[in-house]
Amino acid sequence: MSMLHASQVDDRTRLTTTPSTGDIMRWVIIATLPGLATMTFFFGLGVVSNVVLATAFGLGLEALFLRLRQRNLRSLNDASALLTGVLLGASLPPASPWWLIGIGMVAAIVVAKQLYGGLGQNPFNPAMVGYALLLVSFPTYMTLWPAPQSLWPDTLGSQIMGSISLEQIDALSGATPLDAFKHKADGLTASQFWANPPLPPGTLRAWQWIAAAWTAGGALLLAKRLISWHIPVAMLGSMTAAAALIYVFNPENAASPWLHLFTGATLFGAFFIATDPVSAATSQRGKLIYGAGIGLLVIVIRTWGGYPDAVAFAVLLMNLCVPLLDIYTVPAAAEPRSADRARP
Amino acid sequence: MARTFEFHGGVYPPERKQRSQGPVRHARLPGRVVLRLDQHAGRPALATVAVGDSVKVGTPIARRDGMISAALHASISGQVTQVDRHTITIDGDGVDTWQRLTPLEWRTANAEQLLTRLEQSGVVGLGGAGFPAHIKARVGERQRIDTLVVNAAECEPYITVDDLTLQQYALDVLEGAQLIASLCGAKQIVVGIEDNKTEAISALHQAVAGSQPLSVTVSVIATRYPSGGERQLIKTLLNRDVPDKGLPADVGVLCQNPGTLLAALRSVRDGEPLIERLVTLTGEAIADPGNRWVRIGTPMATLLDEAGLNRSVLHQLVEGGPMMGTPLADLEGVVTKTTNCLIAATRDELPPAPPESPCIRCGACEEVCPANLLPQQLHWYARAQDDAKLAHYRLFDCIECNACSYVCPSHIPLVADYRHAKTRLRHQRLETAKAEHAKHRFEWRQARLAREEAEKQARRQARRAKQTTQQTDSQATSPQADLRSLRIAQTAAKAAVRKAEKNLARAAQQDPQQPHDDLEIQLATAQENLQAAEARLAEAREAGEPQETP
Ligand code: SF4
Ligand code: SF4
Repeated sequence: MSMLHASQVDDRTRLTTTPSTGDIMRWVIIATLPGLATMTFFFGLGVVSNVVLATAFGLGLEALFLRLRQRNLRSLNDASALLTGVLLGASLPPASPWWLIGIGMVAAIVVAKQLYGGLGQNPFNPAMVGYALLLVSFPTYMTLWPAPQSLWPDTLGSQIMGSISLEQIDALSGATPLDAFKHKADGLTASQFWANPPLPPGTLRAWQWIAAAWTAGGALLLAKRLISWHIPVAMLGSMTAAAALIYVFNPENAASPWLHLFTGATLFGAFFIATDPVSAATSQRGKLIYGAGIGLLVIVIRTWGGYPDAVAFAVLLMNLCVPLLDIYTVPAAAEPRSADRARP
Repeated sequence: MARTFEFHGGVYPPERKQRSQGPVRHARLPGRVVLRLDQHAGRPALATVAVGDSVKVGTPIARRDGMISAALHASISGQVTQVDRHTITIDGDGVDTWQRLTPLEWRTANAEQLLTRLEQSGVVGLGGAGFPAHIKARVGERQRIDTLVVNAAECEPYITVDDLTLQQYALDVLEGAQLIASLCGAKQIVVGIEDNKTEAISALHQAVAGSQPLSVTVSVIATRYPSGGERQLIKTLLNRDVPDKGLPADVGVLCQNPGTLLAALRSVRDGEPLIERLVTLTGEAIADPGNRWVRIGTPMATLLDEAGLNRSVLHQLVEGGPMMGTPLADLEGVVTKTTNCLIAATRDELPPAPPESPCIRCGACEEVCPANLLPQQLHWYARAQDDAKLAHYRLFDCIECNACSYVCPSHIPLVADYRHAKTRLRHQRLETAKAEHAKHRFEWRQARLAREEAEKQARRQARRAKQTTQQTDSQATSPQADLRSLRIAQTAAKAAVRKAEKNLARAAQQDPQQPHDDLEIQLATAQENLQAAEARLAEAREAGEPQETP
């Protein structure tokens, strides 16, 4: 067995160092920082409270279940629960109440991960399982995005504690661009809508900056070779193509490719969610199909489905296809080159 | 410079070859050597000396057993002080008197003489597998070989034996290559060497000019682990793909490493059996690293102490390289024909493996696998013991290079899993072979008893018939027909033996480290069949003669 390991080697020789699994997770967390910071800048410290609460729940639940399953607590070092917390925290509307986050993390860590046998065994992306469950069970809370606001909104504390009524939060909230466009008044054409969008001031600009920040994080992941280009490129490519096709045929009613790409969870999803290696396809061909499938599903659900954003559902649906993709996209070279030829 | 090609995957571990670069020296003559009987591929040798025998350097002390096996020679002069099932111990007299074989001129000697010499000298592959050189050289009898590849890639970190062998003995190595090439009928010689061995490369370039009669090409290849794997090297040098479950010979290639060629030449030209080898002594726990000529059987502790081993900082002793070598639990080992390197590493140098975490399906392993396998899938199926899937994903094509475990971010000891699975599957196969062998023997015995009974019966009847009627209308034609069918049976049995030999030679070459008892058993079974057929034929001839003469 190998007594050298790439993650432990630090000779000053030419070599490609590879990080350990824990290092990979920690790097992904670092790469979320630009996105989180930008979100915080526009939507206030509720973003931070989300992440803090979600990671706290994540570590606590992971530790509890490792104990229950009599596993070594050192596994916490792999930082995967931490990452799941960060990702779910980043997906939820800022300043979500603690119990909502708690339920989401139970679904993510306990149901989607530990009950399947822990890290590496989960067929579904844990953070997206948590998100989808919340979206289906508590749709009102999940659509309450605040309007761009000050860093420290007065209601922050009471929102987190859940001691503020839905109506009160509703009053504070604005729509997301995708949401607003989806629910635009019947008969209103796209150009009429954009002429005077019913959005709080600065909303579009905020979402675009956030998308740019997630892209910067994604670029870091690509540069550090922690993710391969296949999934993001395939997903964004297929999204653009599908959105453009629909837009060409129906420019007055469909969202433009630009709106699809730069608002909502698109770029966050492309770089941080779809690329989760555990629940994604493994071969290069498989990754391309997997990414393209997500992109296509996002457009289909956004256009004809009931949800304004659809990254979570698209990812989960493609997670379902992974076993199949893995079987049918075995790299040609790895296929047995001859059928039989048993050992003599 | 010759054109080279790319193989899939590979990694760039730190080279750490600098420390053992000094000139080659001779290790001090050990006072005692312990020679293991199993230091080559195949069956252990059989001791031919007894306690109290005096031996000289080069005296044969054990002979080969079975087809794949090798002879063993005393590596110091003195007295045999212990012989047990696994080892022969010799206490030295400090004089170092030699017993050589008569030198041969390889250009004029015939092939049989040379092959016998290689076999008598106990020359085996010194690159790590210890495969008997004479069996390998015989491959030309069965398959057409056009190229002899000298495997000087030496891609494992730390090891510099081949490098230093070429730096100092390039001419002899090439002459050894010419010798082996002539034996297997190769038409050209290609030396594959990684571009980080500049001195060896220039030594080679100088030596090539005078090398006769075949042309020698020196191919400098990029440094990338595991470029020295046979398949990888053949792909890189010749752009030929050794088929799955195939051997280099299937694409007309024979591979040998420089040390083996040097040993082959010495056994022929100087009549020196294989009694010493070059060993790289290195690692931070050693004060005086370098390459030494070491007598086979020298205790590692003696050798390392001489090289200034600091036991207090020694963390891990490794035999071989850090990628494919064996971690040793203590200093009790002895140098064998396949010990190419001893690394006395400190804790900082080769830290203990970090704890394993689950596979995150990142695909890094797949990217680096030189055998184009899916290590991750193999890992799942090995742990699930799904044998059909393991076969489907070509478990047995894994060369155990450890590139996958080297990069795995979850520190999964992938190759350990594969070895387990391979051992389990091999064991199953061995059990089947054993059962078949036993069944075969039983049936054969039953058949023999039945035949003898029938013959007795027939004789009795014949006697009775003679007594009553004196008629001689018994089977007048049958002995003839019988004889013919027995002769056919004997020919078939001979063919079966040849086939079993071929299978064994192939399998042993593919997997030299493993016992191939199943195939040795098959060979034994075939040989028994042949003996039986011959015995029956002889019997029938004897019985037939009195009837044939009148
Ligand atoms: S490198 Fe390790 S973690 Fe990555 S896919 Fe291979 S076995 Fe799994
Ligand atoms: S050890 Fe086997 S599976 Fe792993 S990289 Fe080497 S050949 Fe491939």
